[in-house]
Amino acid sequence: MLGAFMNDASRTSTLERQVGRILTTGIVASSVCLAVGLVLALAGREVATATLLKAGTGILLATPAARVVAAAIDYLRQRDWLFGGLVLVVLAELLASLFAAVG
Amino acid sequence: MLVVGAAAGSVGALFGIGGGVFLVPILNVAFGIPLRNAAAISLTTVVATSSSVAAGRIGTQLINLRLAMVLEVATVAGGLTGGLTAHLFSESSLQRTFGIVALAAAAGVGSRVNRRNVILDSTIDVGRLGGRFHEDESGGEIAYRVIRLPLALVASFVAGTISSLLGVGGGVVKVPALNAWCGVPLRAAAATSAFMIGVTATSGAIIYFGRGDLAPLMAAPVVLGVQLGSRAGLRLAERLPARWLKLSLSIVLVAVAATMFVRSF
Repeated sequence: MLGAFMNDASRTSTLERQVGRILTTGIVASSVCLAVGLVLALAGREVATATLLKAGTGILLATPAARVVAAAIDYLRQRDWLFGGLVLVVLAELLASLFAAVG
Repeated sequence: MLVVGAAAGSVGALFGIGGGVFLVPILNVAFGIPLRNAAAISLTTVVATSSSVAAGRIGTQLINLRLAMVLEVATVAGGLTGGLTAHLFSESSLQRTFGIVALAAAAGVGSRVNRRNVILDSTIDVGRLGGRFHEDESGGEIAYRVIRLPLALVASFVAGTISSLLGVGGGVVKVPALNAWCGVPLRAAAATSAFMIGVTATSGAIIYFGRGDLAPLMAAPVVLGVQLGSRAGLRLAERLPARWLKLSLSIVLVAVAATMFVRSF
């Protein structure tokens, strides 16, 4: 009983650490793109600005999706089918909005 | 735009609701940006705030990862629905909806000012979705069980729809619902909601972005401002008592609601 609890707790914290890393990386990368893009906008570099701002926005929106993917992999690897399935549904919903956006 | 973002971000983080509920009215009323575009900008900042707040809080036990995963199924479905139907609503009906949502949230939070969902006996069984965390204000380990899960799912779906439609995080619906109906302490409800909001807002923001309703040049300074502001807000929130947070949040929400109603006529 105690062993099962400990196992559960340590697994969650592994996933938590991974989610934390993904979020931090995404937020730093997108902020740098957006900040540099804005500076270039003030300098009048239109093409570079547009590219960087688009990249920054893209990375920003991809970050939460990436942590959903990480959670799906983790739960499925642990054979936690209930939570793995739930996270896959979330992922499918995100893909649906991507299709709605480009369609 | 940077300053506006910083102000909205700090106040939003203070209450754990992302700042959209303040940002959208400012962009819409003070800057004259149509509500749909204001919502798109705001949703982008919501994604950023959620990611940075969650990255900072992960490991503190305040974010209930399992509860978040369950509720995300409903909240992202709502986000998709809101994003797909946003163009069907007129500017004034969106503004009125915004006002109603803010008022409802104010009532929800206001009615709970003197009640707390904490069980100080940390040895209880919290169930599959419950959680525990350490809180200085109560001076110990706090444990809670999640009750009325279906209600939490419905609230999450509604929150997701409203999030996409109005550009708010949806925490304004989820936090009061989780706190008042589902047994989750305010701080855990706010942290878990802030974590979920990133995925919810992404589903809406992708749709706005793809349809050209999101201007990156306008969104970028606001996004950066919100991030700077939310850090300050978070630090302040930890020092303030829960009762004060609830009381001031409901007052601010009433003011937001009044502004949007006046604007819609």
